[in-house]
Amino acid sequence: MGKYSQDPQWADITPLPTDEGGPNPLAAIAYSDEYAETMSYLRAVMAADEKSERVLALTEDLIDMNPAHYTVWLYRAECLFAVGGATEQERQKSLRQELEWLNDTALDHQKNYQIWHHRMLVVDKLGSVEGEQEFVEQMFDKDAKNYHVWSYRQWMVRRFDLWEKGELEFTEGLIGRDVRNNSAWNHRWFVVNGREGSEGVKDKGVRTREVEFAMQAIGRAPGNQCGWNYLRGVARKGGMGLGELKVFVGQFAGLEGGEVRSSHALDLMAEILAEEEGGREEAGRALDMLKEKYDPIRRNYWEYRKVMLGLPAAGAAA
Amino acid sequence: MAHVVEVAPAMSMPQLDKARHVKYWTRCVKTLLPHQYISLDSNRMYLGYFILAALDVLHALETVCSETERSDFANWIYRCQCPGGGFRMWRGTDFGELANDGNGKWDPANVPATYFALVTLLILGDDFKRIKRKQTLQWLRKMQRPDGSFGETLVEGQIEGGMDPRYGYCVAGIRYVLRGTMSGPLNLDGEEVQDIAVDTLVTRIRQAEAFDGGIADQPFNEPHAGYTFCALGALNFVGRLKKAELPPSVPSPQEGPSNPQEVVRWLVYRQTDSLDPDANNDSEFVGDSMSAKITDRELESILPSNAAPPGHNDAIESAKVTDRELENILPTHAPSPGHNEAPKQGVEPSGHDGTGSHGATTGFDWHCAGMNGRTNKIADTCYAWWSGASLHILGQPTLYDREAVQKYLLGKTQHGILGGFGKFPGDLPDLYHSYLGLTALSIAGSTEVKKVDAGMCISEDAKARLKNVWKSWGIDSPQDGP
Repeated sequence: MGKYSQDPQWADITPLPTDEGGPNPLAAIAYSDEYAETMSYLRAVMAADEKSERVLALTEDLIDMNPAHYTVWLYRAECLFAVGGATEQERQKSLRQELEWLNDTALDHQKNYQIWHHRMLVVDKLGSVEGEQEFVEQMFDKDAKNYHVWSYRQWMVRRFDLWEKGELEFTEGLIGRDVRNNSAWNHRWFVVNGREGSEGVKDKGVRTREVEFAMQAIGRAPGNQCGWNYLRGVARKGGMGLGELKVFVGQFAGLEGGEVRSSHALDLMAEILAEEEGGREEAGRALDMLKEKYDPIRRNYWEYRKVMLGLPAAGAAA
Repeated sequence: MAHVVEVAPAMSMPQLDKARHVKYWTRCVKTLLPHQYISLDSNRMYLGYFILAALDVLHALETVCSETERSDFANWIYRCQCPGGGFRMWRGTDFGELANDGNGKWDPANVPATYFALVTLLILGDDFKRIKRKQTLQWLRKMQRPDGSFGETLVEGQIEGGMDPRYGYCVAGIRYVLRGTMSGPLNLDGEEVQDIAVDTLVTRIRQAEAFDGGIADQPFNEPHAGYTFCALGALNFVGRLKKAELPPSVPSPQEGPSNPQEVVRWLVYRQTDSLDPDANNDSEFVGDSMSAKITDRELESILPSNAAPPGHNDAIESAKVTDRELENILPTHAPSPGHNEAPKQGVEPSGHDGTGSHGATTGFDWHCAGMNGRTNKIADTCYAWWSGASLHILGQPTLYDREAVQKYLLGKTQHGILGGFGKFPGDLPDLYHSYLGLTALSIAGSTEVKKVDAGMCISEDAKARLKNVWKSWGIDSPQDGP
């Protein structure tokens, strides 16, 4: 006998089992008894649109087994806001409890989207970001590239106006810990450029700061694409000529017998040369070096880039 | 010298073990999916799509499933159709006789479920006569937000679900199936049905382009190969795609992406020889349990139970895992002998493939390289599809190393005993990676499987059936459509 069918608190509910409606249902799953029962009670209370404390407990059970259920979250949110207390103080308390439960759930189901959406609803209603940065950092300790958590972080920055409250330093810290963490680089781009009405890298001072930041990171790890992408992005979106980067890039992509320390530098050098008066041939040589030696996996692409420059293609590989 | 390491000769192309793949999918369609799939219960429609689409791509749908079974599957899909148009993911939200206007909000039509239902019906060769075409198109329009993005469900007039191009892709796909390439108002059964706002959809997608060329779910989020595919696929479906052509030309504001060459550049950089699954985790794209790693302890339970689902009177013998196979798999969950990863392979000196060295950077075997989903992540089976198909949609299908992708899939993530593909080398197969492994192989040039349409992620055969469906609705097939 199951948890709900034995509980006198649930005696008034007639469970509503899944009805596949006919033979050979598609993608049928070996449901555990526990899941089948919880779903049957969930359907029964949803059908009655009941909103109560016991429904909150039931949805917790169900979410634990199937966090991707797309209406159970909405149902829970309605329930929470309906039974969450009569006074403001009670409501705040119930929202805080919900966050605590969500903390554990998020750590158990790290790749689930609904959890984060629900968290936004709750935190938005609470109107306070207290404790959220800490929790997000706890999530990043587990996986510093978790896509949902980064989305949530952006939402937090916008919703609570955290642009100038240590967010840039936060990205600096994460990039310092792992210079290859592209999510952290992307967040930096957001912090610098994402604020409504801000000039971002179009502001000369900001641009200079960001160029220097990228150059330092490249110095630490020349083979890391994040730094190069960021540098190129700042130059392009900041309206800076790529040619201004030539001396720096040249240190990592010596063409005339110099040392090539990064295939990404060579790629960028090809782009810089292609924009120079009469630089096409030399750009073509950089692309040949990428194709033959430094990045042969993308050999078809390097050939393609040569064709883009109007240079004759070698017998392109299949 | 005592320890002479013999450098392996050029790795020959491993083969697709077609019989085992068919067996894997036969098991999925004939027996209950193991309980690990409970966390994906509310995604049953796309699990069903993976199963039938995979059998189709393997040329096995008609031989594995009887006509009765196939018609039962279509009936199940139609039982998921909602009264007001669109489909639900499964019958789990259906209140049956207790359904009423008040509780209908908890049983909404779902955008991805509707796209997967439609393409699965195409795969099954259904005539679409039972589709609530008008209602579905009317509902579809209500799924769009003012900013151009789409949601997943409509609950009490509120558009629910993330701001993410998966929904935009599915909406554009539903629109394509139900009205072809016609845009603007449509007269159906004497009623005028309005179109979605295509211009704002395009604007929204362009806003999500990142500074490095990839496309994200929302403006300023990190670019991601899955979202890039969805964005390009949506543009393709609505006829607003600007392909990457030579010489490059600037797209109009009504087209996207704003700079196709930048997207191509970002996509070719997705190819990587980085394989180490412990280096990081990836693939939030479809949901965790699809890619959850399964321990030996759990292995026993993942093998499909031999109990038949309701309506399956006899789970066919060939679908069962034999004791012998079980024995093979229990001690280790590495792929079969012969497909095993040589421990030193990734760090051998270069040149063993006879095609030149690569310089001092990493020391890789460039003849085996999958694709990742984001910068500095490791290769993963599914991104061989998302990244590869994106390049196909952009009209540049040969700019990645397709042979290296085939070698990665066949030599590293194909499961040598159970069939199917895992997420990473040595992983057990799951439905999601097993299907996308096959479609990725197809677009990478394998002739062992049917040709797959990069925009729709189903076989070209299945897509071709649209012509007749359209004809029955009086829609002309486009000469040069997506």
